[in-house]
This record gives sequence, C-alpha cells and structure tokens, in this order.
Amino acid sequence: MLAPFSLHRPERLTDAAALLREHGDDAAVYAGGTELVVILKDRLTEFGHLVDIKRIPGLDGIAAEDGALRIGALATHRAIERSPLVRERLPELAALEANVANVRVRSAGTLGGNLCFAEPHSDPATLLVALGATLTLVSADGERSVPAEGFFTGLMSTARRPDEILTDILAPLPGPATGVAYERFKIHERPSASVAAVVRLAGGTVAEARVVVGSVGERPERMLAAEALLIGRAPSPTLAAEAAARVRREIEPTVDAFESTDYKRQLAAVLAEAAIVRAAEAAANGAMRHAG
Amino acid sequence: MATTTAEPTDGVAVGRDVTRIDAFAKVTGEALFAGDLRVPGMLHGRILRSPYAHARIVRVDASGAAALPGVVAVLIGDDLPALSRHPNYGHALKDRPLIAVGTVRFVGEPVVAVAAESPAIADEALTLIDVEYEELPAVVRINDALAEGAIHLHDTAHLQSGLFHGLGELNLQPGNVCYHHAFARGDADALFAAADVVVEGEYEFPAVYQYAMEPHTTVAAWVGRDELHVWSSCQHPFLVRAELADVFGLPVGNVRVTVPFLGGGFGSKSYTKMEPVTCALARKAKRPVRIANFVDESMVTTRRHGMKAWMRTAARADGTLLAREAKAWFDTGAYADNGPRVVATGADAAPGPYRWQAVKVDAWGVYTNTSPAGSYRAFGATHLQWCGELQVDEIGRRCGLDALQMREKNLLRPGEEVRPGGRPLDADLVGDIQRVAAGLEWGTPKPPHVGRGMSVGLLAAGAHPVSTAVVRLEADGTATLLVSSTEVGQGARTVFAQIVAEELQLPVGSVRVPGGDTQITPYDRSTGASRSTTLAGMAVLRAARDVRAQLLSIASRVFDLPEAALEVRAAAVWHEGEAQPFPDLIKAHFGMVGGELIGRGEVRPDKGSGSYAEGPVFWEVCIGGVELAVDPRTGKIDVRKAVSVADVGRAINPRMVVAQEMGGAMQGLGNALYEEMLFDDTGTLLNATLYDYHVPTIEDLPGAFVSNVVENEDGPGPYGAKGVGEGALAGVAAAVATALADAGVTVDALPATPERVWRALQRNGESAHAGGTPEGEDGR
Amino acid sequence: MPAETLPTTGLARTTLRCRVNGQPVALEIGVHEILLDVLRDRLDLTGTKRSCDVQVCGACTVLLDGRPVSSCCTLAVEADGTNVETIEGMAGPDGLHPIQQAFVDRNGFQCGYCTPGFVLTTKALLADNPAPSRAEIEHALGGNLCRCTGYWNILSAVEDAARRLAGDETGGADGDDHR
Repeated sequence: MLAPFSLHRPERLTDAAALLREHGDDAAVYAGGTELVVILKDRLTEFGHLVDIKRIPGLDGIAAEDGALRIGALATHRAIERSPLVRERLPELAALEANVANVRVRSAGTLGGNLCFAEPHSDPATLLVALGATLTLVSADGERSVPAEGFFTGLMSTARRPDEILTDILAPLPGPATGVAYERFKIHERPSASVAAVVRLAGGTVAEARVVVGSVGERPERMLAAEALLIGRAPSPTLAAEAAARVRREIEPTVDAFESTDYKRQLAAVLAEAAIVRAAEAAANGAMRHAG
Repeated sequence: MATTTAEPTDGVAVGRDVTRIDAFAKVTGEALFAGDLRVPGMLHGRILRSPYAHARIVRVDASGAAALPGVVAVLIGDDLPALSRHPNYGHALKDRPLIAVGTVRFVGEPVVAVAAESPAIADEALTLIDVEYEELPAVVRINDALAEGAIHLHDTAHLQSGLFHGLGELNLQPGNVCYHHAFARGDADALFAAADVVVEGEYEFPAVYQYAMEPHTTVAAWVGRDELHVWSSCQHPFLVRAELADVFGLPVGNVRVTVPFLGGGFGSKSYTKMEPVTCALARKAKRPVRIANFVDESMVTTRRHGMKAWMRTAARADGTLLAREAKAWFDTGAYADNGPRVVATGADAAPGPYRWQAVKVDAWGVYTNTSPAGSYRAFGATHLQWCGELQVDEIGRRCGLDALQMREKNLLRPGEEVRPGGRPLDADLVGDIQRVAAGLEWGTPKPPHVGRGMSVGLLAAGAHPVSTAVVRLEADGTATLLVSSTEVGQGARTVFAQIVAEELQLPVGSVRVPGGDTQITPYDRSTGASRSTTLAGMAVLRAARDVRAQLLSIASRVFDLPEAALEVRAAAVWHEGEAQPFPDLIKAHFGMVGGELIGRGEVRPDKGSGSYAEGPVFWEVCIGGVELAVDPRTGKIDVRKAVSVADVGRAINPRMVVAQEMGGAMQGLGNALYEEMLFDDTGTLLNATLYDYHVPTIEDLPGAFVSNVVENEDGPGPYGAKGVGEGALAGVAAAVATALADAGVTVDALPATPERVWRALQRNGESAHAGGTPEGEDGR
Repeated sequence: MPAETLPTTGLARTTLRCRVNGQPVALEIGVHEILLDVLRDRLDLTGTKRSCDVQVCGACTVLLDGRPVSSCCTLAVEADGTNVETIEGMAGPDGLHPIQQAFVDRNGFQCGYCTPGFVLTTKALLADNPAPSRAEIEHALGGNLCRCTGYWNILSAVEDAARRLAGDETGGADGDDHR
C-alpha cells in the first residue's frame, strides 16, 4: 500500500521543471512507474509529489539525426525494441531492449526511467555508456548535456539533480567500420554480469575501443586498461582473451550474497571476450561492406 | 518436445484423459481462492514481524495504532490468555506461539497483529507501533545450534507433543534437537572394514521455498462465543480443525474449516499456519478478519529444511553394494512444524532401494533462529536421494560398471523388504530404471561437457490411511461427492469424479465435487504424501459402490429379479434390453419424487494403528533421468532432456499423471539448479523476492521431456492405483547431480548454481579460463 | 474518451474513467491506489491475482489497451481513458474465448492461480504475433510463473490457441501435444 501523494500531470516541460523546482526532494519524476512504484510500495522512500511527465508531448520520439539516434526519455523498452529505425541502425540496442525484464515491464517502462533509476543491473545503461551516448537534462535553469559515462555516479545515483528531467538520449550511430556487441549472463531476474563492447577498426587494427562492464559493480564501468590494450592491435581471439584478462583484474565487483567476487570477475572476463570478438567481427564485416 | 507413453485405456471414465471438472472456473477467473472471499463485516489483518532472529520483547507500545481511526483490534502476546486455551500450537510439538509471547526466535516472527477496516489502515497502523527488543544470542546455522554452549531456543524437555504426529514418544533432551530418528541393521562396521570399495562424502541441501503462487490466506469469523468458521488456504482441513479446537478449547464440531480452491500447496499449506493468529485476532476484534500474506511473509511462514549430511557406502569389487551409513541434520528453523516427520522420512530415504547387508542411519531435526521449516513435496527423498545416488555411481566408476548396470545389479525386487516391519517393495524398479535409460538413449555417444544421469529412490507415501467419503445420488440421477481432500491443483476433484462416474456409469459431468468443508464433507486425514487418489480415492470408490449396491437392491425389487441378473450401465440399471434409469429407481424407493441415495465409504489401516513405522501405504518411486551440458567457462547448465517414470499402478487420468510428472520434474530442476533461501549471519532472509529467488520459468524448460507411465496395477488404491506427484521432484533433482558427475563435475552442495559448477571444475583443473587464470579467491 | 487533465497543483484523488471489459467505469480513487487493488476490491474482479508483488510473476497481468501490465505495480490512474481487459472479460456470450478453450483442452493449468495471467499474456502475444515459434512463446511468457504445470501443457495450449485463432477450430488435430 503506497503512502498518499499528490499527482501532477503537467503538459509542458517548463511546468514540470517548475514543479520539481518547487517541491525539491519531496517530488519524484514519474513516467512508466516500473521502478518507482515498487519502491513506493516498500515505503522505504516516500514522496509528497509525483510529477507525471507522460503528458508532455515530444518526449517519446525516436529519430535519426546527424550520425546519432535521438531517443526520447519516454520511449518505452518495447517501442525501442520495435522501432524500425533502431532495428536497422542500432540492432544491438533493439535486441537488448527485447530482453529487458519481461513483456509487462517492457511495455510500461521507459528508457529514461531505467537510466535515472540507475539500478546497477540495467542493460541499456551499460550499452549506452559504451556507445558514448549523451543525456539531455532540463531544469528551470535550462538544459545541459551529460555524457552517459558521467551520468552514473554510483549505486542508484546519477548526476541528475532532483529538479532536473531527463528528456532524451543521444546515441551516436556506429560508423561503417565500427562494431557493437552486448553480452550478458543471467540466472536470476537481473543479470549477474553484462559487457558492452564498441570497436572501430582502421586499416585492420583497432582505432577505438570502449569496453564497459555492467551489473558487476555499482554502476557501468569502462575498462580503460582493456581498451588501451586493444588500440593499435589487429583483432584476434588471442587479443580478445588478453583484453578479457585485463577486465578480470580491472573490474571491482560489488560484494553480495549471490555470487563471489572472483566468480563475477570470471563472468565479466568471459563476457568481455565474447563481446570484443563479436564487436570486432562486426566492425570488420562493416568495413568490408563499406569498402566493397 | 515432450513425449509420453501414457495411453488412455478402457472404462467409461477411469483411464481416460477426462477434462478437469474445474477447468471452466479456472480459465475464466471464476474459481474462488481464499483471498477472493468476502465475509460480511470482514476486517483486514496485517502483521508486524520481528526484525531480530532472537530477542526478548521488552515492551510493545501499540497505543498509536489502536488510536488510529479504522483500527478495530491490536493483538499482542499478552492478549493470549484471554483469547485462547494454549498460547502455542504445532503439528509435532506445541512450540510455536500464535503470536510472539515474550520472545522472538526468527526474523519475521509475528509480534503484533492489527485488524482494521481496510488494508491501507492496517498498513498505516503497523507504522505506529513501537516495539522495544533486547537482542539475544542467535544460532543461525545448524553447526552453531549444535555447538557446545549454544543457547537453547526452547525448553525442549517440557514441550508438549502435538496432536497427531504419529511418531511415538519424542523423548526430547535439553538442547536444540527437536527429533532424533535412528535405525540400524546388520553389522555395518564389519562390512565397511572388509569392503573392497568405500565411498564417503559430506553434502549440503539448501532451504528452499515451496513457492505456491497463492500466499497463505485465512479468513476467520467467530459465531457467538464458541463457534468458529475459518476459510483457509489449507491442505488438511481436519487437522487444522483439530488444532484450532485444541488451541481455543472448543469441541471439534464447533470449528468449521472451509477450503476454497488452493493456489498450489506443495506442502507449504500442510498443517496449521496462519489460522491460529487470524482466529485470535478475529476473537479480539469481535469481527471476521482476513489475513492475506504477502509472498515475503509466506516465505518466512514455512520452507523446506536445509540439510547437512555425511554418508558412506561400501561395496565389493564387483559392484555389489554391501552397507551404507548416513548421518543427517535437518534445519527446522525456530519451530518444529512437521520437522520430525521430515527427519524420519529423510532417514528412510537415506539407504536407497538397494539390497543392503547392513545400514545405519541417524537423523536429527535441529532448531535454529531462522524461519520455520515444514513439508515440501517429496521431503526426505529430495534431501538424501542425490547423495546416495552419487555414491552408487562413484562405486560403479571404481568397479567398472555404469550407472544402469549398478542399479540392475543391486536394486530391490518386488516383494523384497525395504525396511523391517514395513510394507515390502511394491514396484518394479529395475523395469522403471530401464525405461529411464531408454529415455536417455543410454550408451549412445555424447558430446564433450555433456553428462547423463539417472537416479532411483523410494518415498514412504500415503501418510496415515484414514479417509471417508459420501456419495449422494440425487433424485435427478446426478451425484454429489462429499470428500475432504483439498483441490490444490493436482486434480483430486476430477479423479474422484471419474471414480464415481465409473462406478455408477454416469457421465463425469453428472458428478459434482464441491470443496472440503469440515461441517459438511466427511473426515479425511490430509492432502499430501501423494495419498489422495490412493486413500481418499478408495473411500470414494467404496461410497460409490455403496450407492451402486443400493441401486441394485432397489432394482431387484422393481424388476423382481435377483441382482445377479442386473447390470448397471448408462445411468440406469438394466435387465437385458430393459432399463430403469436412476431417477426412476430413487422414485420407486421413496414412493414419490424426492429423496436421495447416500453411500458411504471409508479407509482404515488394514492392520495395526496406521503408524509411520508400520507403513507406508505404498512406496512412491522417485525416479528420473537427466541429460545436461555444462558451459565450462561460466558453469551454466543447459538441461537437454529430463526423463520421468510414473510408476502409478493404474493411471485414472493418464494426462493428469503426466502433468504431475511435468510439474514435479520442473520443481526438481528448480531445487537442483536454482533455488536456495539465503540467510545472512543475522538470520535475515536475503532473497525474499523473485528478483533474487529464481523459480523456474518457461524459458528454463529442458530441451525435451520424456514421461513414462507404468501401470502394473500393483497399488493399494482404486483399480490398483497408487499415488503420484512427488517422485519426479526427488528423482529429477538427484539425476541432475548424477548427470553432473557424469560430466565430470562433482557437487557436494545443491543447488548446482553456475558458480558451484565452475568452482567444482576449477578444483578438477578443467575450467577454461577466459583471459588466463583467475585471481586468488577473494570470497563473497 | 478524453483523459481528465489534472491541475498543476496536483491531486490526491481523482475520478478514474475507463472501460473495464467493455463496460464504462467511473470511480473515485486516490491517485496512490494500485490498479490490482481497485480491480479486486472496488470492482470485485477477483480473477486477477496477487502473488510476487514485484512484477516478476505475471499473476496480476491485465491488458491496458491491449498492452500487458503488472496491475500490482501500476497506479490505477494509468487506466484512465483506457480499455482495461481482465480475465472476466475474455469469455463471450457464446462461451470461452479460443485461448481459454485451448488451455482447457490442453490441460494448461493445475491450481489455476496463474492461469488468468497466462491467458491474458497469450492474448497480447497472439494479437501481435499470430503464429509464434516455441522460442517466441517462451520469450513472451518468460515473465509468467507457474509452479504446478512445468509449462509443457501451457506451451501446447498457446500453440493450440494460435491455430484456433488462425481459423482451425479444433486447434489442430495432429498438433504437437506436449503432454
């Protein structure tokens, strides 16, 4: 049973921002509700005001612009999964979204809500950090952009101030010689480990690489040592295994009752190896197609 | 793909895949469960639970809650003397307070109960209650509870026995042991000393939650001062009735327990659970009260016993099994519940169905400061079968025999003694295991990292053989069957309707089977231990035959012919081409339209007292086969195939037999691969939601499932039937362990989580590490 | 039906206006009320069940404009202006919906507590994908728990239902029976 609150349903972004400014910590942004309602039911957190942003037009679009996909924060997992644009231009994201939680959560839950909740096992968060996505935050003071990498500041905490609204996510589209891969390992409702890899090839060697581990730590973490190892080398299974070994050392697993930290390192390494191999293959194929 | 050997056979109703009589109600949402009932004036109860595993309650200040508008009653331990005759209840031992009195013994124990006009008010009231605790040392693990100097949860020497546990004198000594069961025959020490091969191991089985989809729900209404009506999600209405009558000091007839549809039980709704506290709260409120648990509350209401065991097995070099010795400690949590029976059944399952020259088994039930444990489908067998079967296979490996050969050589044959004084073996285990082997395509080549395993065991099934039933053949020729077995989903009502239909040659649709109601439906001991078809079914058969005899007697007068010249067929009694439909016979009997024929049937022990030692009613065969593949890098297991054998004597509804096997096998996979209640060192359950407690989903289905239904008509039930429902769980769970061993992974603790499998592979040095060797163990 | 616009001062209570199984409903509710509670306690539609309470098990599934949601974790105000379908609305005057009939004929249930959720999830699946593969069925129903059946008969029922809805009234006499 939830504690009573006031529900606001502004139809303009500025009104929503004003409400958040007015009510401060006592207000929560409410969209799909798939995360928020669960914690409200626990009554561990209570808010006097919920600001429902679903009636603000234009926040659920999915569009391509200038080498990137702009995904409105209100786009549901299901909408992203099914978007022809996402399927064509960023199929790895569409595939990932098709496997978030279950069909009910996907049809109600939004990408923006998922990111703002910053649950450490979030699938899209991990991939978006790897892609180098940018998040747009709007408040009564105006608008700012935050890279996804800097957005997740810790366990269920983000760079979003309480009076800010996440309005959209700008995900750069991989170029022709860039491959993207997302791998996860799941035995419970949420993944035990997940890894996203983005690899760009130039002249047969890795020109750019981003390897991000999710679910294992408190937030998606870039594996800088593993990325550095990849740069300038020709992709191969051996190289991927070497990078995975770095991931194993580099990642800092959260301690919990469900899996030991050394097993989490193992999972991260196994997934990283697979993701890097697959991303590199996709990059090579893309480069070949582009050249042909 | 799922395949089965079950074939519909003869009979107008028996042996046929009759559509369940509750089908329409269940697919339309019309089927009523306890939480769907509205009793006029009903209040909503909620419970404040202990945050400590062990503490003294210093003070409860519920004045704020009591003052909240809409709150009608607040119940605490101090209220009990005015409301009940006994403060405690419990099936085996009266050790569990209706609501905490002075002490709490596990995290989640009810401390205060509130009844309010709405669930929201009741919730709000809980936030206004202040309880002061003084923490006491807690024993959370079995080893802690058995350690020298450990605090004692109960004054065991002075605990009263429960009403009906049937285990004889419990003779408890001071300490944390609530039951000790031991037996020995033959000279085990000498055989172990002289054996060619000895295999020895230590094992752990997890606490798991039954996870019936419907959490425990009870509605209690007092009628005047001394009559009580309870609607509850309970499996055993007559045992609940007896216990409530005892607790509140009422004649049993003054307590009425009505059982609607149950949303699954699997043992979680065996015996008495939330009923006493709900009744006490309703008595204080002087209004009907409903308490509907949330699932996290149900998870600390009952669970399966976690277990630690030590076992060794001796054999000759040719693979002949000689002797087995086992010790097992069952974690019953803070209250015994059905723990002693679980301990006894576990001990019985420890030897396995082999020809032993000696066995020596000791098993203990141990109190700990965790949530109480009780029955869960195939208890005992699920705990120990896998340990014994791993040892049989290991002996085979050392003696050059495969798993099938070991079993063909050593399994008991029909008619052989399973345990002294008990029922001899009533199943063809060798034939059954050969079917498992065939289902697994035993002996055919398999890829790397793939293992095949089989397992066989016996479960003392049937519980206590006392059941009664009444068939009322109404004036219009339709029948109403009164029987108190609970429809938990297993299909009991449909099977009973089939038996009545068969005996009276009626369409199944003409037989109505309402739910159990102790004021209306006659006594049945319980619904569990795979007993309903066998025992209650026999009472139903006899009640139907009683009606049939009455019909023949009436018809004999009507036709003026001897009964031997008459035949019951197509809802009528016939002589050659001439029919007397049932309504005509009933009219002839009463002389006018009206009246009914009442048939009664009962089942009693054939000999003796029906005690546990003299049983069981039948031996349920727990048998299964599994083929699985292991990912050596992550330890993840892919179950490629599961095989079950339902050795049921006679399948009254073959499709429902197979459905029991499918469901039991899936629970076996859950128990063996995923499910484990994790208590931290403070006794708090860490995975009380489905986020972290994984119940198998449709995505966890094995690649294929093969079910064999064996009908040797060798059971004591109707038409040679014996029960089904538990065997596949224990059999498939154990087959996971033996299949893993076949794949080179020896686990000594279930569930075989990916991490445990990965660790086992690492111990074997077989893991392929991604990116080189792992860091040193840095623990959890 | 136009959804009611709340003033920006916020509301603690509102009138929920929607259709439930085709019937118009107008109900005063608190904005913090949960859809499951409103359906069960206010509208007496008790076919929708509470179980896990954290939107994992699917027992509380209802359809809002055809979309499956967990009513245990959905604010009732979300139903405003929608067409709410619960299990009680599935059968028509002519009898069971073909999906229900398939669950009956394939024995796709035991205790029946999860069945409403499975039936409604199946409806949403088949509306979207009339001929799903076994893998697609497992993916779509992966968020619905059943502890009794072991799922094989549910799988069979969904395949059967797909065939019935495609026009084969018998559900396919030689369809794969997963028993």
